[in-house]
Amino acid sequence: MALTLEVRKTLPGFTLDVSWAAGDEVVTLFGPSGAGKTLTLQCLAGLMRPDSGRIVVNGTVFFDGGRGVDVPTQERRLGYVFQGYALFPHLSVRDNVAYGLRRLSASTRRHRTQEVLERLGLADLASRRPQELSGGQQQRVALGRALAPDPALLLLDEPLSALDLPLRQALRDDLRAVLAEWRTAAVLVTHDFTEAYRLGDRIVVYEDGRVIQAAPRAELLWQPASENVARIVGIRNVLHGTVLKATADRIQFRWREQLLEAVNSPTRSYLPAPESALAFFIRPEYVRLIRKDRGTPDPGHHMNLMSGRVVGEADFGTTWTLYFKLDAPGGPAQGDYDLEIEVPRLVYEILEISRDRHWQLSIHRGSIHVLPSA
Amino acid sequence: MDFFPLWLSLKVSVVATILTLATGLPIAWVLARKRFTGRDVAEALVVLPLVLPPTVLGYYLLVLIGRQGVIGRVLDAAGMELAFTWRAAVLAAWVGSSALFIKAAQAGFEAVDRRLEQAARTLGRSGWSVFWSITLPLASRAVMAGTVLAFCRALGDFGITLMVAGSIPGLTQTTPLAIYDLVQSNRMAEANALSLIAVATVALLLMGLGRLARLRF
Repeated sequence: MALTLEVRKTLPGFTLDVSWAAGDEVVTLFGPSGAGKTLTLQCLAGLMRPDSGRIVVNGTVFFDGGRGVDVPTQERRLGYVFQGYALFPHLSVRDNVAYGLRRLSASTRRHRTQEVLERLGLADLASRRPQELSGGQQQRVALGRALAPDPALLLLDEPLSALDLPLRQALRDDLRAVLAEWRTAAVLVTHDFTEAYRLGDRIVVYEDGRVIQAAPRAELLWQPASENVARIVGIRNVLHGTVLKATADRIQFRWREQLLEAVNSPTRSYLPAPESALAFFIRPEYVRLIRKDRGTPDPGHHMNLMSGRVVGEADFGTTWTLYFKLDAPGGPAQGDYDLEIEVPRLVYEILEISRDRHWQLSIHRGSIHVLPSA
Repeated sequence: MDFFPLWLSLKVSVVATILTLATGLPIAWVLARKRFTGRDVAEALVVLPLVLPPTVLGYYLLVLIGRQGVIGRVLDAAGMELAFTWRAAVLAAWVGSSALFIKAAQAGFEAVDRRLEQAARTLGRSGWSVFWSITLPLASRAVMAGTVLAFCRALGDFGITLMVAGSIPGLTQTTPLAIYDLVQSNRMAEANALSLIAVATVALLLMGLGRLARLRF
């Protein structure tokens, strides 16, 4: 499976202008609501006609604005799982699944329908109507209906948003298993980053009708292309400092009167000029509190040392989030605190953080991630 | 008693209803699903017969299909006569009842979730197939309700029929016209019987419609 897509479409008050490619994998289109993800899916399926651009799936040109090619939806043969599933309410589960198989002979159609129902564990529900099923069962019927004609590419629009949270998490893993088992290339739309990360091999980040980064999921999490991407994927502690010195493998900078040092990425070795502004982020779970019962900290071992107070906290059950304000003069970087720190519950209890609020902390230079300026 | 008016009314209404279905379904679908210039005008034209005085409608129809009318002349050349025949009564009933059917069916089509039709298309079905397998079955209650209403309206038409088909006993005199004639000539017992039969027929149909509305798929 190979997909290349380039689409421009102007609607009142909104312009979609995107271009990305995908191979034999699950691609998630991720971004806030109204960023153009669903519109892209509709253009891909032929339900919406782009103003211009080009869509090619497996060498077949589905749309080419320049040459006036626009293959109608019914001839594109793509599986589409709609938000809310859009199951046919007047047809049984079996007839829903068989709906896309009309071109097959009656016996082949029966055989294929039965096979799909069994593989998805729907055989016992075959004569039920969609409205008699639970949300999870409806999702399976929608998947079965889309997969039955064996499409080259499966499109899924917010497949989990119709479900309640506990079920949603279980079905996310369920969906992942189905996608892996059927080995269908898929494009999945979601506004939930956990979902995008769990389900996608590759993530395309949308913002306001444009793609701001397309990358394998791990790269997106550790090397967001810009401050914007970092914010949209929900990265905490996105901060701003001033560059002192940058070399191919280190960047020294000033932040809140502190001298910090970060590893420069060898792959993109970013060399900002001294005194220029610098954006960076620190993951809350990578900030280390320094134990007071082990003597004074050793600057050779503990790099990027800072001291301050816990000014707020939130209990997340298995972890605690601490809001930390540095002792340094000047206003805090993020409202009334400088850093968000996440500690496991056990650490919170052993260190008696609820009682003891003043701490020294250190951040390894490899845990400070410099963001290239846009 | 003469049962010809009852028999004629039934024949005229059945044929008119079939005509209404054949012409009304596509019009209702287009009004529900398509956006085009002149749509407002088309919508107004559809509703017009519902609000115009029947005699005015009948007058214009007669102008069209009479010997000197645009359509009448064409038909005359083909050796056909329309005005003052039972077919003119069908035309009258069709014009009078189409609006009721189209408005009901249009509302039914509009209530069908478009995503279901889109889903059907992604599953390889063309527009025609989508209409018969998804849109029409899901709008079937509204379409049937519209059909029954149109049939009842066709049965009851008076003014338009009188203008274009006249009230020729044994030829174009439908039940409502016959009742009027009977009352005029003071044959109250017969008028009463005919009226009761008309009321019973329509009441039965409407009760059937009520039952239909409660049916589940």
